[in-house]
Amino acid sequence: MKVPVSWLKEFVDTGLSAEKLAERLALTGTEVERISHAGLPADGGNLDRFVIGQVKSRAPHPDADRLSLCEVDLGGGRSEQIVCGAKNFQAGDKAAVCLPGGMLPGRPEPLRAAKIRGVESHGMMCSEAELGLSGESAGIMILPEDAPVGARLVDHLPLSDDVLELEITPNRPDCLSMYGVAREVAAVTGAPLAPEPVADAAPRGDDTIGELVSVSVADERLCPRYGARLIAGVSVAESPAWLKARITAAGMRPVNNVVDITNYVMWTLGQPMHAFDLARIAGRQLAVRRAARGEKIITIDGSERRLTPDMLVIADAEGPVAIAGIMGGEASEVSAATTDILLEAANFNGRSVMETSMALGLRSESSTRFEKGLDQELAPKALAMAARLMVEITGGRLVPGEIDIQARPFMPAAVRLRPGRVEALLGIRVPDEEIKSILTRLGFGVREKEGELLVTIPSYRADVEREVDVIEEIARVFGLGLIPPTLPSDMRVLGGLSPEQQARRSVARALVERGLTEVISYSFIAPDFGDRLRLDADDGRREVVALANPLSVEQSVMRTMMLPSLLTTLAANLSLQNQDVNIFELGRIYRPAAGEDLCDERRLIAGCLSGSLQGHSWMTGGGTAGFFTGKGMVEAIFASIAGDFTVERASEPFLHPGKSAAIVAGGRQAGYVGEVHPLVLEAFDIDTPVVAFEILEQELLASGAGIIVFEDLITYPASFQDLAVVVEVDRPADEIIGVISDAGAPLLKSVRVFDIFTGEQIGAGKKSVALSLEFRSPERTLTDEDVAAARASIVTALAEKLGASLRA
Amino acid sequence: MNDDLKEQLKAHAGLAALYEQAVAEIGQAATSAELEEARVRHLGRKSGLSQLLRSIPELPAEERPVVGKYGNRARTALEQALAARKHELEAGELTRRLAAEQADITLPGEPFPRGHLHLITQTQWEIEDFFAGLGYRIAEGPEVETSYYNFTALNTPEGHPARSLHDTFFIQDKPDVLLRTHTSPVQIRVMEKEDPPVYVIIPGRVYRRDSDATHTPMFHQVEGLAVDEHITMADLKGTLEAFAKHMFGAGREIRLRPHYFPFTEPSVEVDVSCMICGGAGCRSCKHSGWLEILGAGMVDPNVFGFVDYEPDEVTGFAFGMGVERIAMLKHGITDLRMFYDNDMRFINQF
Ligand SMILES: [Zn+2]
Repeated sequence: MKVPVSWLKEFVDTGLSAEKLAERLALTGTEVERISHAGLPADGGNLDRFVIGQVKSRAPHPDADRLSLCEVDLGGGRSEQIVCGAKNFQAGDKAAVCLPGGMLPGRPEPLRAAKIRGVESHGMMCSEAELGLSGESAGIMILPEDAPVGARLVDHLPLSDDVLELEITPNRPDCLSMYGVAREVAAVTGAPLAPEPVADAAPRGDDTIGELVSVSVADERLCPRYGARLIAGVSVAESPAWLKARITAAGMRPVNNVVDITNYVMWTLGQPMHAFDLARIAGRQLAVRRAARGEKIITIDGSERRLTPDMLVIADAEGPVAIAGIMGGEASEVSAATTDILLEAANFNGRSVMETSMALGLRSESSTRFEKGLDQELAPKALAMAARLMVEITGGRLVPGEIDIQARPFMPAAVRLRPGRVEALLGIRVPDEEIKSILTRLGFGVREKEGELLVTIPSYRADVEREVDVIEEIARVFGLGLIPPTLPSDMRVLGGLSPEQQARRSVARALVERGLTEVISYSFIAPDFGDRLRLDADDGRREVVALANPLSVEQSVMRTMMLPSLLTTLAANLSLQNQDVNIFELGRIYRPAAGEDLCDERRLIAGCLSGSLQGHSWMTGGGTAGFFTGKGMVEAIFASIAGDFTVERASEPFLHPGKSAAIVAGGRQAGYVGEVHPLVLEAFDIDTPVVAFEILEQELLASGAGIIVFEDLITYPASFQDLAVVVEVDRPADEIIGVISDAGAPLLKSVRVFDIFTGEQIGAGKKSVALSLEFRSPERTLTDEDVAAARASIVTALAEKLGASLRA
Repeated sequence: MNDDLKEQLKAHAGLAALYEQAVAEIGQAATSAELEEARVRHLGRKSGLSQLLRSIPELPAEERPVVGKYGNRARTALEQALAARKHELEAGELTRRLAAEQADITLPGEPFPRGHLHLITQTQWEIEDFFAGLGYRIAEGPEVETSYYNFTALNTPEGHPARSLHDTFFIQDKPDVLLRTHTSPVQIRVMEKEDPPVYVIIPGRVYRRDSDATHTPMFHQVEGLAVDEHITMADLKGTLEAFAKHMFGAGREIRLRPHYFPFTEPSVEVDVSCMICGGAGCRSCKHSGWLEILGAGMVDPNVFGFVDYEPDEVTGFAFGMGVERIAMLKHGITDLRMFYDNDMRFINQF
C-alpha cells in the first residue's frame, strides 16, 4: 500500500518526518517497507524552481514556425522570455513553469537556460507528461484561472511527495485506504484525525433512481449489501490535474474523470466502486446473481471469460455486465459518449471473490480488497463521496434517491475486557485511563460495566473478536518496548537432551573426529534413483512418497535411501576438484505406510568415503577409501555409543558383490557397508572408488550398552599369546575367531587378528592368519600351565573343525 | 685412591709402568672404538697386566705378594677408569648426535584430519543447548504431516494462502497430507500428549514451495513453546533477549514489533540490534540498526481450544526462527543457497 504523505496529511497531521512516522508505525504493527519519493525531486531546493506563471504575450519565433516566443509573468514583478513548442495556449493562460536548474522527474540533467534557434529561453512551460502526471500530453498543462501567479507549483498541486510503502497484514484490510491509514496513524501518534470525507452532494431533479433502474440481489450470502446512485448528464473528460496527481501517486494510471473518481474513492476509503453506462444496461435492470452455466463476459481488459455457477455476477436483462468485485464488462463500460452513470458500491463475500479471482486468474485492486473482507458500512459512505465528486468534476446531476439493499443491518459486537487480564498476559500494568484512551483513538467504544470494560468493535475492525484481540490492540499502541524482560519463574520441569538426542550427537562427533564432513541434502530427490542404483523392479525402496506439486522432477519424491543424495553431493564436489570428499548425513528416509496418512519416517546415519582420511602432507601419501575404511567407520559409529554389531555377506545390487556387508545389530538388520558398484558410480558420474554405509538410527541406538558396569582388569594380570594359523584362503576370519573363542573359554578373554599373509611359503589356496590371544581370570593370576592347556585345546579345535595347522 | 695406588705400585716397577701406560691411553682414547682398543691392549687376555698376573707363580718369591696384592688393585682401578671414560665419551657422542639431528621445525606436523559439522547443525545445537540450559526439552515430530496439525489446529483459516498448492508441498493422492511448513505441528502433538507445564523447543526440517535467491524449498526451524500458569509477554521478551545475547553477543538488544500470525495473539516480530554496525546503521540492516531474527507471540486461545487446555488457567508463548537466517547473520553469509550446495569449500570453513 503506497501512501503519499501529502494525501495522508489531508486527514492527519502528525508533525513527524516521514522517517519518524515510519518508525512509529513499524513499532505499532504497520510495517513500512521503504520510504520512496514520487514526482518532482525534492532535494536541493528543486521545488522552488517550479512556479505558476501567466503568459503575458505570445508571438511567433522569428526563425521557426512551430515555436512561440512568450513573455511569462512569474509574479513579484519578475517575467522571463520562454520559447515554447506547444500550440494549446494563448496569452492570459496560466502554466506550470520550470525555471533553469529545475530537475524534472526521470531526467538526468537539470533544465538550462538556452538559446533556441537564436532566441534566449529562460525556462520551460511544462506538459503533464513532463511533470509525471500522464504518459503523453498534447500540449502544456493549463492551470485554473484562480491559480496564484508566482506561487510554488507544489503548493497548488501534489506533484512531489514522500511515499510510505506499507505492508498491510491480512488481518488489517481497514488499512488498505488513505483514511484507514490516517486513522491508524492518529491512534498511534495521538494526532487529531479529520472527519471522514463523505459529505454528500445535493440531489436535483424530479425523477428518482427507482424510476430509472431496478436492482435485485438474488444471493445475499455472496452479496450482503448492494448500493447504487445515479448521476445524470455527466461529461466524460480528462480529470483535473490534482486528481490525476493523486491517481498517479497511488500507482494507477488516470483514465477519465468518471473512472478516476471511482478509483480515488477506493483509495481514499477502501471501498471498490464500479461505474456503469446506464444507457448500455439492457432493460435498465440489474440482478446480483450467480452466473448461469455457460455464460460468458468480455471484461474491460478485452478478454472473454467463461463463468461458472459458483461465480457471482451483476447481470442486466441480457446477461452478465460485471464479475462481482473483480472487473466490469466491456459492454457497459463508461465511454466518451456516456451521459448517465450508475455508480455501484457493494459488499461482496471475500472468500467468493477470492475463489472466482483465482479460478479466472484475474486479480484487480478491487478483488484484493474484497478478498480480505470489507466493512459493510463503507458502501453508502463511498457513494456519498463519489456522488459529490461526480457533481463537482463531471458537471452531472445527482438523481434523487438511492438504492441500498442490505439483508441484515450491521450490529456492532461487544467484547468484555476483564480487569487484570491485560497485565496477566502482557506482564506490565497499563493504567485504566490509558486503556480507554488507546481504544477510543482506534475507534472502539468503551463503557464500564460491573467492574469490567465493555468494548464495542467498529465495523471496520472485524479482526477484533475476543478479549485477547483487544489486549493486542492495547499492547501495540501502548508500546511493546515498555514491557520489561523477565524469565518464566517456578518452572517445575526438567530440560535437556534425551538419551537418543545425546547419542545422535555422539555419533556425529565420532564421524567428524575421524575426518568426515557433514552434509545436508534435500529430503526429496529425482524418481530415477532406483534405476541408477540398479534396484530390482520389485525392490520395496522403489515405493515412494511422491509430491503432488513438486517444483521440479529432480525434487519430486521423498527419498527412501540416503545413498542417492550422498552420491550426488559427492559427484558435485569431485567435479569441483575438491579433494578427499568423505561425507556423512544424519537425516530421515520416508516410506509409504499402508493405510496411514503419515508415512514411515526413519532416521538414518549415512556416509560416503572417496578419499584419504589421513590427509596429504610431506609425511603421508593419502590413499583412497576401501571396504575396510567403511567398516572401520561403522565400527567407530557403534563404538561411539558403546554398541555392537556383526556382519553378513550383503547382496545389495548397488554394492560390490564381494566387498559389501549387511550390518546386523541385536539380531536385526541395521544397514549396510560396502564399496559402491562401478556401474552405479558410472550412473552418478563418479570416476573414483567409493565406499558407503547406511545405518538405521533406531537399530544402532538399541545396540548401545546403556550403563557400563565395572570389570576388574587390574588385580590379576592377563597373559598374551600369539598364534599363526594356516587355513584355506577363503575361510572367514569370523569363523576362526569363533572356533578359538569356543575352545578357549573360559580363560580366553579376547582374540584379535593382527596379520594376514599369503605367499609361496604358505602354499597355494592357503593363508596365514596371525592372532593375538588374551587370557585372564578374574580370580587369580594364570600360570604358564593354565595358558598352555587353553592354547592346546584351541589348536586341537582349529585342526579338527577347520583343518587348520599352525604356521611353522 | 689412585694416588695411593701409584705410591704402592712403586714397589714393582714393571707393574707401575703397565699401569701408568694404561691410564694414559684410556685417558687419551677419543672415541668408543679407541677406548675398546685400549681395553683389549691393557685389560685383555693378552695384555701385559693379564700376563703378569697369570705369571705370579713363576715370579721370584719376594715379588709374588707385591704383584698379587697390587696387580689386582691396578686391574680394578683400570676397569673403573675405563667405565668412567666410556661414560664421558658416550655423553659427548650423544650430544654430538643430537646436535646433528636438526628437524625443520617449520614443516607441518603429521596430519590428523578432522571433518566438520554442517553449519546448520552447529547453529542448531547452539540454539538447542541454550534452551536446554533454561530447562527446555527438545521435541521432535513427523515431517510428512496432516493439514490438521500443520494448519487447522494452529488456527489457520480455510482459504489462507499458505494452505494452497502454490505455497505448500502436498503428497500425491493424499489431499490432506503435506510436508510440514513449520515445526509448529509438533507443538500441537506435544500439548495433546502432555498437560502443562510444557517447555519445549522443536528443531527440524521444514518445507515451503519456494526457490529463489532468498528461499530454498527446504530449510530448518527451531520453534519454542512455553505453556504454564502466569506466562506473560514479558517472559517472552526476557527469554528472547537472553537468547539474542547468547547467540550474537552480550551487547545486543532486541525490540518487538507487532505482527500477525494465526496461532499467536498478540503476535510480534523480533529484531536484534545489528551486530555488524552495532546499531548505527549499515547496508546489512538497511540502515535501520535492526535485523529481524524471529517471529513470536502469546499462544492464541483458539490453539489451546484444539488441545483441550483451559485458556483461563494457562497462558503461553511461542516463537520460531530460521536456523539458516541465524547462521547467516552470525557468520556473514550472504547466499542462503550455499547451505544446500554442500560444497566442501563452504562447509569446511566452519
Ligand atoms: Zn547494521
